[in-house]
Amino acid sequence: MNYDLNKLSKEQQKTSTFAGLKKLFQLMAHEKRTLIIALFAILTNSTLNLLGPLIIGHTIDKYVQHKDYTGVIHNAIILFCMYLVALFTSYKQTTLMGGVGQRMLFTLRNSIFNKLQQLPVGFFNQNKAGDLISRVNNDTDKLNQFFSQSLMQFIGNISTMIGAGIFLLLINIELGAAALSPALVILFLTLVLSPWIKKTNALNLKSVGGMSAEIQESLNNFKVIIAFNRRDYFRKRFDIANRENYKTAIGAGLANNVFIPVYGLFASIAQLIVLSFGIYLISIGQFSIGLLVSYLSYANNFYNPLRQLAALWTNFQVAMAGWDRISQILSLETDLPMITQGIVEPSAALLEFRNVHFGYDESREILHNISFKLEQGKTYALVGPTGGGKTTTASLIARLYDPSKGLILLDGKDIRTYTPEERSQKIGFILQEPFLFTGTVKENILYGNKLYKDYTNEQLEKVITDANLGSLLAIFESGLETPIISGGDSISLGQKQLIAFMRAVLRNPQILILDEATANIDTITEKLLSDILNNLPATTTRVIIAHRLNTIENADEIYFVNSGEVIRAGSLNDAMDMLLQGKQVS
Amino acid sequence: MQTNTPKPTSKPPGVFSLLKPYMGLVMLLLLFALLSNGINLWLPKIIANGIDDYSKRLFVFTDIIKKFSLAVLLIFIFGYLQTVIQTYASERVARDLRQKLSDKISRQSYAFIEQANPSKLLTNLTADVDSIKLFVSQALVSIVSSLFIIIGGSILLLTINWKLGLAVIAIIPIIGGTFFYVLKNVRALFIKSRGVIDQLNKVINESILGAALIRVINSQQLEYHKFLEANTEAKDYGLRILGFFAGLIPIVTFTANMAALTILVMGGHFVITGSMTLGSFAAFNSYLSLIIFPIFVIGFMSNIIAQATASFQRINLVLNAPDIAAAGTLKETLRGDVELKHVSVNYGQKPALKDVSLKVPAGSKIAVIGPTAAGKTQLLYLLTGLINPASGNVLFDGQGINTYDSESFHSQVGFVFQDSIIFNMSIRENIAFSDTVTDESLDKAIDTAELRGFIDGLPDKLNTIVSERGSSLSGGQKQRIMLARALAVNPKVLLLDDFTARVDNNTEKKILTNIQKNYPGLTLISVTQKIASVEHYDQIILLMQGEIVASGLHDELMKTSTDYVQIFNSQQSTSNYETGITH
Repeated sequence: MNYDLNKLSKEQQKTSTFAGLKKLFQLMAHEKRTLIIALFAILTNSTLNLLGPLIIGHTIDKYVQHKDYTGVIHNAIILFCMYLVALFTSYKQTTLMGGVGQRMLFTLRNSIFNKLQQLPVGFFNQNKAGDLISRVNNDTDKLNQFFSQSLMQFIGNISTMIGAGIFLLLINIELGAAALSPALVILFLTLVLSPWIKKTNALNLKSVGGMSAEIQESLNNFKVIIAFNRRDYFRKRFDIANRENYKTAIGAGLANNVFIPVYGLFASIAQLIVLSFGIYLISIGQFSIGLLVSYLSYANNFYNPLRQLAALWTNFQVAMAGWDRISQILSLETDLPMITQGIVEPSAALLEFRNVHFGYDESREILHNISFKLEQGKTYALVGPTGGGKTTTASLIARLYDPSKGLILLDGKDIRTYTPEERSQKIGFILQEPFLFTGTVKENILYGNKLYKDYTNEQLEKVITDANLGSLLAIFESGLETPIISGGDSISLGQKQLIAFMRAVLRNPQILILDEATANIDTITEKLLSDILNNLPATTTRVIIAHRLNTIENADEIYFVNSGEVIRAGSLNDAMDMLLQGKQVS
Repeated sequence: MQTNTPKPTSKPPGVFSLLKPYMGLVMLLLLFALLSNGINLWLPKIIANGIDDYSKRLFVFTDIIKKFSLAVLLIFIFGYLQTVIQTYASERVARDLRQKLSDKISRQSYAFIEQANPSKLLTNLTADVDSIKLFVSQALVSIVSSLFIIIGGSILLLTINWKLGLAVIAIIPIIGGTFFYVLKNVRALFIKSRGVIDQLNKVINESILGAALIRVINSQQLEYHKFLEANTEAKDYGLRILGFFAGLIPIVTFTANMAALTILVMGGHFVITGSMTLGSFAAFNSYLSLIIFPIFVIGFMSNIIAQATASFQRINLVLNAPDIAAAGTLKETLRGDVELKHVSVNYGQKPALKDVSLKVPAGSKIAVIGPTAAGKTQLLYLLTGLINPASGNVLFDGQGINTYDSESFHSQVGFVFQDSIIFNMSIRENIAFSDTVTDESLDKAIDTAELRGFIDGLPDKLNTIVSERGSSLSGGQKQRIMLARALAVNPKVLLLDDFTARVDNNTEKKILTNIQKNYPGLTLISVTQKIASVEHYDQIILLMQGEIVASGLHDELMKTSTDYVQIFNSQQSTSNYETGITH
């Protein structure tokens, strides 16, 4: 399955945009009640704002000009009350709509993260970490800016505009139609230009993603850059990404700013139309100068928010471009679904590979027609030259991938019928590259461990001692409380492997796979580890992948993995012979 | 490692100081902004004149159309030019700032990067630069033109009627005060919410980098809860910030409306008593609406400026970090003598190496063995200059490591790291990572690392792109690519950090033979776990808890060091096989 977000097919992109938009609206669906109240507040607020000038105008015409000061005071009190109500409605409008925006962003972030958790390992191997991080961080932030800042203005402006438009048409329908006609041109231009704006912004977001991937890769591997004296490498690669970003940012910037002068131009043209058409109407006796003056101000009330909408519309397009990139992720589905109906045949073997074929991409098959059985309580070793398919085989046991052909049975049942929870409880897999989270040794050892998660340090230490892991903990300076920084160099690779080992053993799996899991640990400690492995419950099946033969000497059975084939070796000697004679594929 | 606390300067440079090199652009930008704004003020005048002329029966229709069209056209042109220059100016500032940052970062030491934390530097290069970009593209123009309008409008108000004028202008400090109060509170919340966002990003980053582990353990739910917690906190801050803004806008609008009411009541009184004309009264209203909007703008822009200032300070922290000590100038070809004299290294509070001394004559082979976390990797980092000793000297051919020109030094010392670091580019570029590599030395390195067969089997041979974190390669393949990378520089000294851990014995032996044959005279320092493959080395050093507890030939150590014998015995059972079979 293709998970590369930058190589999604046109069709995948199209459907994802549509499905994405629908999803975006779904995120707001449960807020209907709040939205209706907010809408009411917005309408009240705009009406009050539009009535203000009308009342002031009325006061001038009726009272000030006729020197009736009590009338002035009378209207002033009415105005004051209106302003008080507006104070309240405008507060409500902002809090309600802003609240909707914030909660929507919250839901959105959650659904992206949730989706990321659902996708299989293949997805993460096909995309650069930096690009993914940029999608989740930068692109949601673009949506955030729209929701938290622009959405309220957007709605406020639109309601002011509609109100002003209605006033324009009510006062004089012909002049109103004439005054609003430039708005139609603007509408047309907006529709025509929006895809271009969105496209340039999408390009820009893509180059931002590329740049952040570049920074991520270089900074995380900085020691190689120093040791090979390629400080210029970072500079050069970054420079290319930076220039690319500059180019796309200018393109996006020019596109984003095009509306502001254009909207301004049409607003002025509308004024010109009102002025000339209005004067014409006055000349034939259908209009008055006083009306023309207030008409011009209503036209302003219509076109000023429109001008602000120009900027907001651009924000909206930027947000949509970000949303598209996010919904590309949301549209992906895992290719490791759980099936309900599968083969069930009681068998002695705890795990069985039956004619399994597999390749990371369709064009290159890595494993060819593999069949073998693992029995409960036995220790198996997978040996063979590098690149022969050992890690791949182990990954299939843990169902990080599904075979392209063939069947894997766990406890006599198709492995695909197990829930992830059942499966991960049965199968422990210590990965070749240990990964630790920022936190402490304790947090990392107990990571994902439901049984011991609430244990105090003392209780946990007892568990660790009982599991014979006590001497391993002693290697850490502050024991369980030793701080850990993910990806940092504060503890050695060997120590990281020890934590991964303890983490897996304490989960007490039925099958424990060690993929060169102790490669960087010294041989004395390793001896300790193999004692611990031997003392695991008699029912635990162990699968050990290693180059150092002393780690596999206790194996009950040895499989020789080479060129994508798994052959059973009779004895350690057999395996050694095969290792020596076996041609190197890698 | 040392902490780089920035020297306290008398006053941190404001974000405006950033604009100095772009004065020309900025001036042009302000010129166009003022021109288009100025002409905009002219428009109502044209309309007013038109109306006046009409009532005086002096109306010339084509004349007013011409004037108006000209004004509109000029506004459009100047307005458009303004946006173009705005875009160019802000993007150029951003690009140059990023480049300066990357230049600075690229010259820093490994310790600096580790301490500054790559993900924070990423924020510096992206989010912080963006907020400065926003300052240049929006705040600058808005503030200058807003001030222009407020001052101009206020003067006009005062000249029409100073009493009413003062009453109206009184709203400016009220609105200003409200903005000041709200933004002060909001800024504190912004800083806190930024911390929450950092936490959010950390959870995202770790869940992406640790994706495989999370799937093996099936801890997606756990990660989701971690995320949910941070996300909820982010939402709460968002709502609190919203609460302040939701209060701000109505209050400001209400104050402005009160000003309009004052005009109506006070101005109405003046008109009725005859101390003010109706025209001036009308003008007051329109000028009020003219100055209200710019006050809003300045309020919001002051927030952008505050954010840009904070970002600029963070960026300056990186830009002003002291440069690493001037690199040496010595460019001599190394013979390959390596010596450590009483070297100590601290990692945080804890000593990683304690008073370590050792001598490696040119062309000899030495091995460093020892338990996990003994300081073996630290020792190699010292020898490449990745870290500096807290005390003691690191000498190559009798000269301190820092006296060498770094380019010349690094092209003679090859380092194979323990953890696989593969860049997302072609295999050729990954191996010929140093730019001193020739085709010939590339070929030699590939053959020596036994990679020929593997590369020939790939669809695009050397030009095959390997994915980030090398996830498309097996552990051993990555390790051998890293070896080839180190060998491709034709080193005089080769440092191997647990190289054999992920390579099978057979391949390992071939590779070590190849190295002897293809790189004669090479000084080899190898950190390893396997005694069998280094038994014949010229010197074996046993490192435990940061101290050298024994060193010498294999046979000597077998007689003198019980620790060594213990390690040897732990490997005995199968090494018979391993050595036996090769002979």
